Amino acid sequence: MKEIALKIGKPTPLTGIVAAPDKIDPEKPAVLILNSGVMHHVGACRLSVKIARKLAESGILSIRFDLSGIGDSAPRTGSSSFHETAIAEITEVMDYLEQKRGIKKFIAYGLCSGADASYDIALADERIVGIAQIDPYCYRTWSWYIRHYGPKLFSLAQWIHSIKIRLFPQTSEKRFSETTDSEDLEMPSYIREFPPQADIAKGLQKLIERNVRIYSVFTGGQSELLNHASQFKQSMPSVDFGTQLKVEYFPDMDHIITAPDLQRVVRDNIAKWVDMQR
Amino acid sequence: MNPFFFGDSASPLYGVYHPPTATQKQTEAILLCAPFGQEYMRSHRAFRQLAMLLNKKGYAVLRFDYKGTGDAFGEPEDSTIQDWVANIGTAIEELKHSAQVDTVSLVGLRLGGLIAARYCSEHASGVNKLVLWDTIVSGDRYIEELNTYIEKTPNSKSKYFDEQGSLHFNGFALTKAQLNELKNIDLGRLELSIKNVSQICSSENGNQSYLKESWSAHQGYHYQHTAAPGDWNFVDDFGGILLPQQVIQSVVSSIVAERR
Repeated sequence: MKEIALKIGKPTPLTGIVAAPDKIDPEKPAVLILNSGVMHHVGACRLSVKIARKLAESGILSIRFDLSGIGDSAPRTGSSSFHETAIAEITEVMDYLEQKRGIKKFIAYGLCSGADASYDIALADERIVGIAQIDPYCYRTWSWYIRHYGPKLFSLAQWIHSIKIRLFPQTSEKRFSETTDSEDLEMPSYIREFPPQADIAKGLQKLIERNVRIYSVFTGGQSELLNHASQFKQSMPSVDFGTQLKVEYFPDMDHIITAPDLQRVVRDNIAKWVDMQR
Repeated sequence: MNPFFFGDSASPLYGVYHPPTATQKQTEAILLCAPFGQEYMRSHRAFRQLAMLLNKKGYAVLRFDYKGTGDAFGEPEDSTIQDWVANIGTAIEELKHSAQVDTVSLVGLRLGGLIAARYCSEHASGVNKLVLWDTIVSGDRYIEELNTYIEKTPNSKSKYFDEQGSLHFNGFALTKAQLNELKNIDLGRLELSIKNVSQICSSENGNQSYLKESWSAHQGYHYQHTAAPGDWNFVDDFGGILLPQQVIQSVVSSIVAERR
């Protein structure tokens, strides 16, 4: 395996790292590893590096790169939205790999905003044959409410907690403010907004009709929206996923996957799923 | 910004070279020594900004990843602290070559400060100035700091000691061997072998005071407190980063002031 640092595009290039296996399987798509929020291309807890190197072991080429203004890529001027810029820049990276290495098929992988960008680029560019997403868009269903509130209805501790909050509301508010981050943080310029559920359903249907395969991993970090694996399909009843969708839910996993054993699970599962795609 | 791999071809390091953008180029270049773990992720943007501000003052800058961290090859558990100290030496040579200078100064943040200081104690020449930014002052105190978080969050899946004695913290781990190496590094007891040392801290706590007291007699030592909110070890759900502008400016001023 060899890794090469690249600058793609002019006059303000994007920085990326190609992880190229010793022997590339030409039948397998290359993987585009996208930014998560403002985190640079190394990825949350170095997960992007780990996935890239695992893929290389299976003969799969990947590129992890920074969109303009993130990580090691300088900002580009312009007034386009994050979505428009991301699509244009991911397309630029695919064009580069097609031109330089003859790659014509890609899988887009991303966590959080990277998952959103993988969906956007899949809709925009037919070279995308699969998307692997961690905590993509999801929507509550009746089954979410049952699982979320059901156990609490029959829990004495929950009733006591609820009564305490009503009797001592200030204590509860104070506790909340103490855990609120008050640091000098630079927030991502991309504010994650979930599009209407119907729009996502339409988009997913289009992808399915184009034979795009989808692997969606949900973490417990997004359990306020999704709390069991079958919920995702339930929330998109109009979409005929057939066998093209694989969903996994890890309730003990946080959004940036800090637990080492779960990092390995995600890395291995994504690499295995990608390896099966042609 | 020029990203590249350098060093031992069997286990290359990753670096980003920032050439000076000012017309008047400085005769020394600056090496930025990164923290470890989530602190590395959290400070990446701050380092990039620091590099660009120094470029505007005419300095060439290299920021890089130690073996087994970031984009560098290898796994962190297969690296030693002494590897990372040696990586600084490799990066210095690379920077001197890229910038065509003979003199280099180091800026180390958090664990990067401890490692950079260790490098300076082992190499009497070659480094003009050492700037320590919110530095870890001793391995023992660093481990104690992390352990305090661990004790506060029992049963955490991301903050714990495993059966082999590795310390897992917010998605990254230090092995038992690395922890033992760290325990032997105490900046307060380190023989300072370079003339110019600046300690810049955003929060005046016991650790920073310990170092200040230990080094205050050293000629060429400078201490500065630039108050800024921020906990490098904090981690949130979306990978938020820390960008303490005031402290970054203080680091730049510290480098620039030295040449006057």
